[in-house]
Amino acid sequence: MPPATGSQRTIRAAGGRAVGSAPPTAQLLTADAAATSSVVTHTAELASKREGSQRRFLVGFLGSFFAALASVLAFNVVVDPFALAGTGIVPTAVESDRSIKLDLLQNLKRGPPILILGDSRGRQAEPSFLQRLTGHGAFNAAVTGGSAPDAYVFVRFAADRFPRQKRRYIWFSGIGLASSVVLPQLAQDPRAHRYLLGVPGFGLGDVKTYLSTAATKASWRVLEKCVFGSCRSYINYHPDGSLTHQSLRYLPEDAKWLRKAVAKEVAAARAGHKTLRQWRQDLADPRRFVYWERMLAFMNRRGEVPVIVLNPIYPSVLATLNRRGFPGRRATLEKIAQLHRRFRFILVDCEDIRKWGGTAYDWSNATHVNRANMRRELRYIVAHSRGALR
Amino acid sequence: MLFNSYVFLFGFLPAVLAGWWGLSRWKPLRLAFLTGASWFFYAWWDWRYLPVLIGATSVDYVAGLWIARSENENRRRLLLAASLTTNVGILAYFKFAGFFFGSLNGIGSALGLGAALPSLHIVLPIGISFYTFNSMSYTIDVFRRRVEPTHNLLEYTTFVALFPHLIAGPIVRFTDLAAQLKHLTPRLTSETAARGAFFLSCGLVKKLLIADQLNPYVARLYTAHAHLGLLSGWAAAVGYSLQLYFDFSGYSDMAIGLAWLLGFRFPQNFNSPFKAVNISDFWRRWHMTLSSWFRDYLFIPLGGSQRRAKRTVLNLVVTMFLAGLWHGAAWTFVIWGLVHGLFLASHAVLRKAGWTPASTTLNRALTFLFVCAAFVIFRSPSLGVAGDVLSSMLGLHGLDARPQLAALLPAKFALLIAGLLLFVNLAPNTWQIRVRPRVWQGMATGAATAIAVMTISQPHPFLYFQF
Repeated sequence: MPPATGSQRTIRAAGGRAVGSAPPTAQLLTADAAATSSVVTHTAELASKREGSQRRFLVGFLGSFFAALASVLAFNVVVDPFALAGTGIVPTAVESDRSIKLDLLQNLKRGPPILILGDSRGRQAEPSFLQRLTGHGAFNAAVTGGSAPDAYVFVRFAADRFPRQKRRYIWFSGIGLASSVVLPQLAQDPRAHRYLLGVPGFGLGDVKTYLSTAATKASWRVLEKCVFGSCRSYINYHPDGSLTHQSLRYLPEDAKWLRKAVAKEVAAARAGHKTLRQWRQDLADPRRFVYWERMLAFMNRRGEVPVIVLNPIYPSVLATLNRRGFPGRRATLEKIAQLHRRFRFILVDCEDIRKWGGTAYDWSNATHVNRANMRRELRYIVAHSRGALR
Repeated sequence: MLFNSYVFLFGFLPAVLAGWWGLSRWKPLRLAFLTGASWFFYAWWDWRYLPVLIGATSVDYVAGLWIARSENENRRRLLLAASLTTNVGILAYFKFAGFFFGSLNGIGSALGLGAALPSLHIVLPIGISFYTFNSMSYTIDVFRRRVEPTHNLLEYTTFVALFPHLIAGPIVRFTDLAAQLKHLTPRLTSETAARGAFFLSCGLVKKLLIADQLNPYVARLYTAHAHLGLLSGWAAAVGYSLQLYFDFSGYSDMAIGLAWLLGFRFPQNFNSPFKAVNISDFWRRWHMTLSSWFRDYLFIPLGGSQRRAKRTVLNLVVTMFLAGLWHGAAWTFVIWGLVHGLFLASHAVLRKAGWTPASTTLNRALTFLFVCAAFVIFRSPSLGVAGDVLSSMLGLHGLDARPQLAALLPAKFALLIAGLLLFVNLAPNTWQIRVRPRVWQGMATGAATAIAVMTISQPHPFLYFQF
C-alpha cells in the first residue's frame, strides 16, 4: 500500500474512514469537504483544549512560585534571624552581644578607665588581667564582627554615660583596619541609633536577603533553638564585659580540630589573589574610614590617644602570606602612615606571635588566640604602648 | 545584568514582557521597543561598549543590502570582505590584540630581545564573540544567496540585539529568525508561555542549584592543583566538566525560555552531550549552534571531509584551532582547540580504517574521559596548572593522602558528582521533556524555580560570559 497522502492522514486522524484505493471523484470530494470541516472544528477544539490545559500548568507554576517566595519572606521577617526587620518576636540568630554589652556598660557605677574595642578576637581580653598589668580597671566592649561603627558607638556611649572621665583604649584590629558597614544588630539598638549616620530601615536589599536560602536556614535554626528548645544562650558575660569561663567552649570560633582549621586558612591564604593595587584602592575609599576617622577625631579632641593593635596571625598562615608578599599588610601599613599624619594613636603590631612569646597551640581556631595567648599578648601591648595605658 | 539576578527576573523581564505584548498591534513600535530594551540590557553592563554593538549592526545591515542589490561578483566579494573585516577586526582588537602583543613580547624576551611592544589592557566587551558571529552569518548567507536581506532596519537590529541570545548565545542565524521577525507572534498563548516558563525554570535550576553548588569544590581543587592525587585529579576534571555543562546548558535553556516568552523559537544548543558515542558526535551535541557555525562557514568551505584524508585532518585541526581561539585569547584555549582537532582527526582516520570499538558503552565512556581531560586545559588558568592536574589524573602524583582527600573531595561533592553522572547519562534533556498540562507539574516547576531563585543572593556570572 502506498503511503497515505496528507489529506488521507488528516481524515484518519480526525476519526473519519480511511479513503479507499479508488473512490469515485464525487464521493471523494464530498468526503474531503466533510472531513475538512470536521478537521477544522476538531483542530480548533484541540487547540482550545490544549490552551486551557496549559493554562492550568501556568497557573500552578506562577501560583506555587509566588506562594513559595511570599511564604519564605513572611517566615524570615517574622523570625528575623539577622535583626533586619526589627520584629523582635524571637531572639536573633546573630549574637546579640552589642546590646548585652551596652546594657552592662549602662549598668556600671563607675566609668571604666580602659575600654577594650574590636571584634571577636578582642573578646578574649580580660579586664581583670589588664588591671593587674596597668593598675586601671577596664571594660571589654569588643563584639563579634565588630568594626569601626561598633567601636565608635561604644566610645561615644561611654563618653556620654561617664562624661567627665578621660579614657584609655585598646582597639584590636585586623588587616584593612576599618569598615563602615553598620551591622543590623547594632542599628536595631535604640541606644546606638543616635550615633550612627542615616541608618536605613527595612529596604529592598533586606527583602533580597530574606528571600535567600541562607536566611531561611538561619530562621530554622532559631526556631529549633528558641521555639522547640530552651532558647538559652551559652555565652555569658561578667559585668566588666569579659566572657565567663564556661562560655569559652561555646564560642563560635572554638574549632574542634585546630590543625584542620589552620589547613583551611592556609589554603585560603594561598588562593587569595587580591593584589597590592586592589588593596590600595580599597583602603583609599573614604567611605570605609568615616567612622574610624570620626572616632579618632573624637578621642584626640578629648586628649585621648588610643592603642591600635594589629591582631596576631597564625604562624603558618603568616608564613604563607609573607611568601606571597602579603600585599594586604603593605597597603595597611601605608594607610596607617597616612592616618598618623592626621591623628594621634599608637600602633602595636602583634601579627607575628614570636614578638610577644605566643605559642602555636594556644589558639581557639586559626584566627583567634585563646586566653593564654591573649594574656601574653596583653603583656606585650602594655609594654609597647608608650605609657598610653598607664 | 544576569538572567539569574533579582533585577532581571523581577524588574527587567516583567517590564519587557508587558511592553512587548502590550504593543502587539504595532509591529514597528514593538521591534523598536525590543531593540531599545536589548540595548538597555547590554548597556547595564557598560554603556561605553554599546556603540561597538550598534556600529557592527549598522555595517552588516548596509553590507547585506548592498550585497543583495549588486550583480557584480567582485563588488559583492568586496562588500562581504568589508563586513567580515569589520567583525573580525572588532574581535581582533578587543579580544586578541593584548594576547598577540603579550605573546610576541614573551617570544622577544625568551630570545633576549626584551619586550618591545606595549602591553595592552583592553576590556573585553561582553558578548562580543556571539554577536559578531550572529552578524557575520547574516552577510555570508546573503552573499551565498541563502537568505533574502531584510529591508527593515528594526528587524535586523532586533535580530542582532535580541537580549536572550546577546550575551552568551545560542548563536542564532538570520535564517532561524527571518520569518519570525517578519510575522511576529500576535499574542502570547498559554502554550508558548508554559514552554517558555518551563525552559527558564530548567535553566535556573541547572545554573543555581547544580552548577553554582559545584563551583566552590571545583575552584578549591584547581587552587590546590600542585597537591592533587589520582582521585582528586579526576574529581577536578569530571567536576568541572559537569559544572560547565550545567552552567552553559542552563544559560542556553534560559535564553530559549526567554525567547519563547517573547514568541520566538531559538535553535537547540545542547543535546545530552555526555551521551555522545564519539568525539564527532560530541560536537554535534555540545554548543550545537557554535559547532554548526564553524562547520558551515569554515570547515565546509575549506573542503570539509570530501577530499583526501590528509586534507580532512588538516581541515579539522584548523577549524578546531580557530574554535579554541574563539573561546578566549589564551594558550590554554588554543591548546584545547588543537587537542579537540586531533581527537576529531584521529577519530576520522580510525573510523575510515574500521578501528573504532564496537561497544557503544565503551565508546561513550572513552569519549567522556577524553572530553573531561580536555576540559582540564580549558579550565586551567595556565598550561602549568593544566599539566599538574593532567599528570595527577595519570597517577604521576600518586594516590591522595587520606586527610587531603577528605578536604578536597568531601562526601557531599563525591555524591553530587556520582548523582550528576547518572543524571547526564540516563535522564532526558530539556528538549526531550514534554511539558504536561497538569497543575501539579506546574506547581512542582514553580516550587523548584522559587528554591533556585532563593540562592541568588550572590549571583555567580555564567562561565561563558568571558567568551
